Amino acid sequence: MADQSGVLADVRRGMIPAHIYNDRELFELEKQRVFGRAWVFVAHESEIPQPGDYVVRRVLQDSFIVARDEKGVVRAHFNMCLHRGMQVCRAEMGNASHFRCPYHGWSYRNDGRLVGLPFHQEAYGGEAGFRRKGRRLLPAPNLASYNGLVFLSMDPDAEPLEEFLGDFRFYLDYYTRQSPTGIELRGPQRWRVKANWKIGAENFAGDMYHTPQTHISVVEIGLFREPKAQKRKDGCTYWAGNGGGTTYKLPPGDLDERFRYVGYPQQMVDRMKQMFSADQLRVVGDDGFMISAASVYPNLSFVHNWPRVADSDDVLPFISLRQWQPISEDETEVLSWFAVDAEAPEEFKALSYKAYLMCFGSTGMFEQDDVENWVSLTSTAAGSMARRLLLNSRMGLLEDGAEVVPALTCDQFHGPGVAHAGYGEYNQRELLNRWADDLERPAKPAPTLEVGVGEQARVGSPA
Amino acid sequence: MRAVRSPLGAHASPLLRTGRSLPFCDERHQRAHQWLVDEAWLLDAQAYEEWLDLLTEDIHYLMPVRVTTALGAGYDTSPGMAHFDEDKYSLSRRVARFLTEHAWTEDPPSRLRHHLGNVRTFATEEPDHLVVDSATLLYRSRGDVREASVVSAGREDLLRRTPHGWKLARRTVMVDDAVIRMQNLAIFL
Ligand code: FES
Ligand SMILES: [Fe+2]
Repeated sequence: MADQSGVLADVRRGMIPAHIYNDRELFELEKQRVFGRAWVFVAHESEIPQPGDYVVRRVLQDSFIVARDEKGVVRAHFNMCLHRGMQVCRAEMGNASHFRCPYHGWSYRNDGRLVGLPFHQEAYGGEAGFRRKGRRLLPAPNLASYNGLVFLSMDPDAEPLEEFLGDFRFYLDYYTRQSPTGIELRGPQRWRVKANWKIGAENFAGDMYHTPQTHISVVEIGLFREPKAQKRKDGCTYWAGNGGGTTYKLPPGDLDERFRYVGYPQQMVDRMKQMFSADQLRVVGDDGFMISAASVYPNLSFVHNWPRVADSDDVLPFISLRQWQPISEDETEVLSWFAVDAEAPEEFKALSYKAYLMCFGSTGMFEQDDVENWVSLTSTAAGSMARRLLLNSRMGLLEDGAEVVPALTCDQFHGPGVAHAGYGEYNQRELLNRWADDLERPAKPAPTLEVGVGEQARVGSPA
Repeated sequence: MRAVRSPLGAHASPLLRTGRSLPFCDERHQRAHQWLVDEAWLLDAQAYEEWLDLLTEDIHYLMPVRVTTALGAGYDTSPGMAHFDEDKYSLSRRVARFLTEHAWTEDPPSRLRHHLGNVRTFATEEPDHLVVDSATLLYRSRGDVREASVVSAGREDLLRRTPHGWKLARRTVMVDDAVIRMQNLAIFL
């Protein structure tokens, strides 16, 4: 494999070799060194509320059954039969107490345990030849959740999820903890785009600069009043822990007025005032910022916007979670969920869903234009000229590295991390710096498991 | 086609088909078939203002998200989620956007061809309403680098006779992909 240290050094200077958005060798490295260790979102607990509910989700090519077992525990197992490797579950969602492999009929409980093995005695000599007891589908190497968001890491030694997310949890709460029950997720819509997965993650992390240009049409048709260039530039970006995002500056008002300005009914505002910390409320009420888009490294993003959903002046907020699931260096499967506070009034949920569909997802009027840009960028990055071009991702920095505008002080912005008002590419750099750190660090060999012979997992050579 | 519930479809007409499909020589079938062919030409040409005029004020335009489920699951759409779940207002915004000079995803425009087939027409309990099934295959080609993309779908439409001609009062589009192989749905089916 080619030495990538020059590429990584350029990225750390904020100069991006254009080919990183369409490069097979880098993608092979990303598979091992980014997706082989990061915490990757797979599901939300609200998608599998009842015992036996399951969804099948992938991390790259690896398919996992994410199921709630009969005791209510959420588990994730590699979707491959221990016998000869057939896919155990070929549906993408459903409810099942057991999964029976269609090939030779081994069956597994929804907690992963192998419980049925036809002709165990005759074919294997029973437990003496093949110990069925205690055997289960290969569990996800690491599984954890925060606010009901279930993450999976391929690294058994991954740092705890809470540490991985770090202070970004402060911002995650705005999207996912508006009431004691939290959000419910619907979807996802799934579609494939011929674009590199990093572009969406960078865009949602901090690209306020594109909004007035790319999305001018949604302002012109009266859907969304905020993205006007002047208004967008008054917002700030923040980076904290392993994620960062963008905000809009709200007009003057107190906390309640500002939540209502984006369309939350008072009963939802009252619950948020119970749920959020003093500083979380100060960011809105005192500092006047409302969270909008965000990304958690490597490939999970969020949106919170407040368009008009009918022919009136009223706006209504919606939340979306989306994942940029890499297929190859030039293709990404987008999974886009609609999320809403589970305790919200039914009418609010219906209109918020409508707001989501109009703005984001496979048909969303914002998203349509984003994707066009990213597809075009990706195909242009394929050739040899792109290897001669270092793109400038230094917005917000002077040539000597000093900042164009100073970071907001803790009186101006009460959230953790570093925040800057106006346009900048601080967050895109933060995201790609983490990417460079990961790409630099070789992956450890993963343990392998022998089915039915050695009882111990052993460490083999990396795939 | 299975019934799909939508949280936004309550305003739409609930009229259902009655009986078997009408003979192809039946004038009602011929009228419905011609309506669909004419509509397909408007959609190919992206003549969206004219298309919008063909929709009733109480239109419900629904395209559920399809999911892969076990045979006995009893559902094959994502509960409470769709690609399109539209009323006249939201469709009018989508059309208005295409008419701005800044809908980048369609500038330059796609080359579109809606292939229409398998048309069956059914009477309803009201003579002014027909239910029409059809299959559509959209071929969409953009630029000169990427391969073209295709969406295949079945549709169930409710057509209504009005003083201004036949109009579309309800459409359910059952797309045949769980994962859409098209960069966005900046099109109509
Ligand atoms: S492969 Fe699953 S039972 Fe044989
Ligand atoms: Fe955007």
